[in-house]
Amino acid sequence: MGVAGDATDSEVVRAVLGGEVERYAVLVHRYRDRYARYAARMLGSLDAGEDAVQDALVRAFDRLADCREPDKFAGWLFLILRNRCYAERRRRQREGRPLDERDDAVAAADRPDGTFEQTERMRALERSLTHLTPEQREVFVLKHIEGLAYDEIAGRTGATVASLKMRMHRAYDRLRDLMKEHL
Amino acid sequence: MRSFLTLAFALSTALRLAAQDVGARLDGRVPPEVQRAVQDIAAGAAAHGLPTEPLVQKAIEGGAKRVPAERLIAAVRALAGRLADATDAVRAGGLTSPAAEVVEGGADGLSAGLTPGQVSDLVRVSRAPYDPALVLRVAATLAALGVPATQTVQLMEGMISAGRTPGDLLALPGDVQAGVVGGATPAQAAAGLARAAGGSPPGRTPGWVPPGQTNPHKPSPNPHKP
Amino acid sequence: MSLGYHPLVKQLLDGELSLAELPLELRAEGAEALRLVGSVDRTPVVLSPALDDRVMAVVRRHAASRTRRAWHWVTAPRDVELRLRLRPVVWAAALAIAAGVALLLLARAPAVTPVPAAPVASGARDSVFVRFVLYAPGARHVALAGTFNQWDLNAAPLARAGSSGVWTTTLALPVGQHQYAFVVDGERWVADPAAPAIDDGFGRRNSMVAVTIRGARTL
Repeated sequence: MGVAGDATDSEVVRAVLGGEVERYAVLVHRYRDRYARYAARMLGSLDAGEDAVQDALVRAFDRLADCREPDKFAGWLFLILRNRCYAERRRRQREGRPLDERDDAVAAADRPDGTFEQTERMRALERSLTHLTPEQREVFVLKHIEGLAYDEIAGRTGATVASLKMRMHRAYDRLRDLMKEHL
Repeated sequence: MRSFLTLAFALSTALRLAAQDVGARLDGRVPPEVQRAVQDIAAGAAAHGLPTEPLVQKAIEGGAKRVPAERLIAAVRALAGRLADATDAVRAGGLTSPAAEVVEGGADGLSAGLTPGQVSDLVRVSRAPYDPALVLRVAATLAALGVPATQTVQLMEGMISAGRTPGDLLALPGDVQAGVVGGATPAQAAAGLARAAGGSPPGRTPGWVPPGQTNPHKPSPNPHKP
Repeated sequence: MSLGYHPLVKQLLDGELSLAELPLELRAEGAEALRLVGSVDRTPVVLSPALDDRVMAVVRRHAASRTRRAWHWVTAPRDVELRLRLRPVVWAAALAIAAGVALLLLARAPAVTPVPAAPVASGARDSVFVRFVLYAPGARHVALAGTFNQWDLNAAPLARAGSSGVWTTTLALPVGQHQYAFVVDGERWVADPAAPAIDDGFGRRNSMVAVTIRGARTL
C-alpha cells in the first residue's frame, strides 16, 4: 500500500470518497500544523487555534464531496479554516469576549539570545495584533508571518491586491500607534 | 503388509484427488505457478489433517485482488501455518479431533491477534451449550474491532460463566461497535459490557463449573419436575 | 493618535523598496518601521499530538452515522416489499446497530430469490438476506466481493440509493462466517468502515460478517 506520504492529496481524497474513511488520516497528518500558526494568530491563542484547525479538518471531511478540485485540497481546507476563524471571532464579539490578548504560548518563549527589550516588543506586537480588525490582522499574518506575497494572499482569500494593500497600510498605522512605547 | 500398502495407496490417491480438486478450482483464477504452489501447500495441509478449504479461498481471493504471485503464495503458506498453530491450540484446549470450523475459528483468532494460549483457553471454557467455533469466531471479531486480546478473552469467559446465551455472545460485536460509535474506545466498550454481563471476574469464583457439568456441591435438578 | 507611516515607508514594509532607496529624511522612520514588523514572531506553531486522533474519532462517528441514517432510509420501504415477495418468511428480531450489514429475514429453500446475484446453492435450506451499505459519493461503480461469491467482482454490484452518495445491495448468504470487501470502480478494494476488519494477508483488510439462523444480532 505504500507509505502515507506517497499518495497525493488528490489520490487520498478520491480514496476517502470511495469509502476508505481511514485514509483521511493522511490529510489530517499532512495539514494539521500548516495553518496552525495562522489560526492561532487570527484567534489570539493556541487553544482557540487548535480548536479551529480541528473543526476545520472535520468539516472538510463532512463536505469532501464538494471539493471540486481534489488536488487543491490545501487551499480548500484553508478557506474552511478561514471561515471558521471569522465565525469564531464574530461569536466572541457577540458574547462580549475579546480575543485573548495575553496568551504567552503564542509568542515564543524568551529566546536565550534575544534581549529583554526584543522579547517585550514581540509580546507587545502580539497583543497589538488582536486590536486590528480581522481583515487587517489576516493580511498582516499572511504577509509578515506566513510570508506570502500579495497576489498569493489575493488568490487564497479572494480579495483584490489593491484592497489588501489598503488594509495592510491601515494596519501599519494602527500598529505604529499601538506600539509607540516600544519603538 | 498388503493392507498397509492398500491403505497407503488409498491415502495417497485421496490426497491426489483432493489436490486435483484444488487445482480445478483455481483454474483460470490464478497463474499456473500459483496453482501448483497452492496445490502443494494444500496437499501438505491435508496430510496433517488441516482444513484445506480456507487455503483455496485465500488463493481465489488473492487472484481476484490481483496480488503478485510471490505474495499470494506467501499468504497461503502463512495461513496454512496459522491453521496448524490453531489446530495445536484447539487440541491443547481439550478437543482431540476438532471440526474444521473450530480450527478456522482459531486461525481467525490468531489472525486477529489472540495468542495460541488464549485460543486454548477459549476452547476450554466452551463446553456445551457453547459451541467453540462460535466462541472463537466472536472472540476473533471482537479482537478485530480493536478490543485488546486479554480483555476479549476475559469478556468471553465472563459471559460464559454468567450463563449468557449463545445469542448474547453473538450480540457482543454489535454492542462493542455501538459503544465505539457513541464515543468509547473498543476497550472501554468491552469493559462496560463485561460489567453489565455481571460475569465472574477473571480467576473464577470458587465452586464455578462450566455449564453442562455437575456441580458436586449443588443438588442435581429433579428430572421429573414438569 | 500618532501620525501614520509615510507612504514610501509602507512600500518599504511591503518589500517594494529597500531602505537605501528611501529619501534620507525617511530613513529613521523606515528603520523604526522595520523594527516593528521585524519583531513579529514567526516560530511555527505545532498543535498537540492528540489532534489527529481527535479528528479521526469524530470523522469515524460522522461516517458511521451517515451510513446508519442512509441505511434506515433505505430499509424502511424495501423491507415490506421483500416480505411480501417471499414465502414462507420469518422476521429476524433485531438489526445490527451501526453496521453496514443487517440481518433482515430468514428464508427457507428460496426457490425464487428476488436478488439477482444471490449466490445461494440450489437446495440451500438456510440462507439469510443481508443488506450491505457503503457511503461513497465519489464512486462510479461499486461491487461486493467475498467468500460467499468466490471474490467475483461481477457477481454482486451495488446500486445507488438515491442521490445521497449511498450504495447498497441485498444478498442471500448461507449461514456461517464470511469475509468480504467492496470494490470501487473495479480496482479499489475498500473494507466496510462499519464492520470489523481483519488482515487479509495481502496488506489490505477484509470485513467480517457472521450469519446465523437464530435471529440474533450478527456482525
